[in-house]
Amino acid sequence: MDFPTLQTFIVVPAYHEAAVIQSVIAEIRAAGYDNIVVVDDGSQDDTYKSARATGVTTLRHRLNRGKGAATKTGIEAAKLLGADIIVTMDADGQHDPGDIARLIEPIEKNHCDVVLGTRLKNPVGMPRYKIWQNKIGNLVTWFFYGLYVSDSQSGFRAYSRHAAELINTKTDRYEYDSEVIREIYLYKLKYMEIPIQVRYTEYSMGKIHKQSFANGLKTLYKIIWNLIS
Amino acid sequence: MSLALYQIVILAVAAFMLYQGITNYFKRQSGQTVIKLFIRIIVWGGMAIVVAFPSISNSVAELIGIQNNVNAVILAGFLLVFMMIFKLLSAIERLEQQISIVTRKDTLGEIRGKDTNQDIS
Repeated sequence: MDFPTLQTFIVVPAYHEAAVIQSVIAEIRAAGYDNIVVVDDGSQDDTYKSARATGVTTLRHRLNRGKGAATKTGIEAAKLLGADIIVTMDADGQHDPGDIARLIEPIEKNHCDVVLGTRLKNPVGMPRYKIWQNKIGNLVTWFFYGLYVSDSQSGFRAYSRHAAELINTKTDRYEYDSEVIREIYLYKLKYMEIPIQVRYTEYSMGKIHKQSFANGLKTLYKIIWNLIS
Repeated sequence: MSLALYQIVILAVAAFMLYQGITNYFKRQSGQTVIKLFIRIIVWGGMAIVVAFPSISNSVAELIGIQNNVNAVILAGFLLVFMMIFKLLSAIERLEQQISIVTRKDTLGEIRGKDTNQDIS
């Protein structure tokens, strides 16, 4: 059965990723996707220049607003550019663009609106503390937002146009990933969880360490704050 | 009615703060709102009343079920401070969101009317 050709856009929020952004873009292209939107979230390094040099759509936040804000900007840009399916992935090279095809397939076949890439269904090579951190994140997301998913903090996701139009997040930083889960629950969007591969390189591990425990607490605080304020 | 020194000092400070708040509001200085004036009157006015008439705090203590009047005043103070911090944090959060919206508008302004995969600076 043939499916209509849908325009797939890959959104890559990036902050201080000058060292790897070009190789990430090259990998996405090698996987067969040319519609790429990079959002440089106010980096002080050459992330913007490096991404722009590859010829992909490169946008820049004048101020650093956080991963959630940059992802939202990228999704808005993809919508303006006529995207039918939008995939978001991290810029540090931890996500394998080879997984994009499996992520978008259920949306192409109209089986669901959102596909969540999940690391915990295939946690090979994933540090034990990271597994527990994610499990706690899942419980917190379930407790406050009402939907239990196996990886509420994954940034590798695919959205149909319909879902991208409905989902309206307000948070700017890492709590964004959990807020998307809330929106899926609120709008009763159909979703699927697909195992993804995560490549824990020395570089991406360095990034992960930076966003570990302290950011987890900040995210929790923000989730609670958003509920009571 | 005889006043102790601490009562005179606190009453003078409260009177000054109230005077300043009311004149700022009526001069329509920037950032002055009815809510701000209201909070100022509640905080400083309340403090002045409790200092001038300490027996009032006994009634407050009885009303909220706390036996010691000093504890009641401290508790009420904590609640007020908490409310003020809450309001302040809400305002900061709103500002943060507005900054993100403006930043996004600015960024997407680059893309509107242009084609896919063009260099957008």
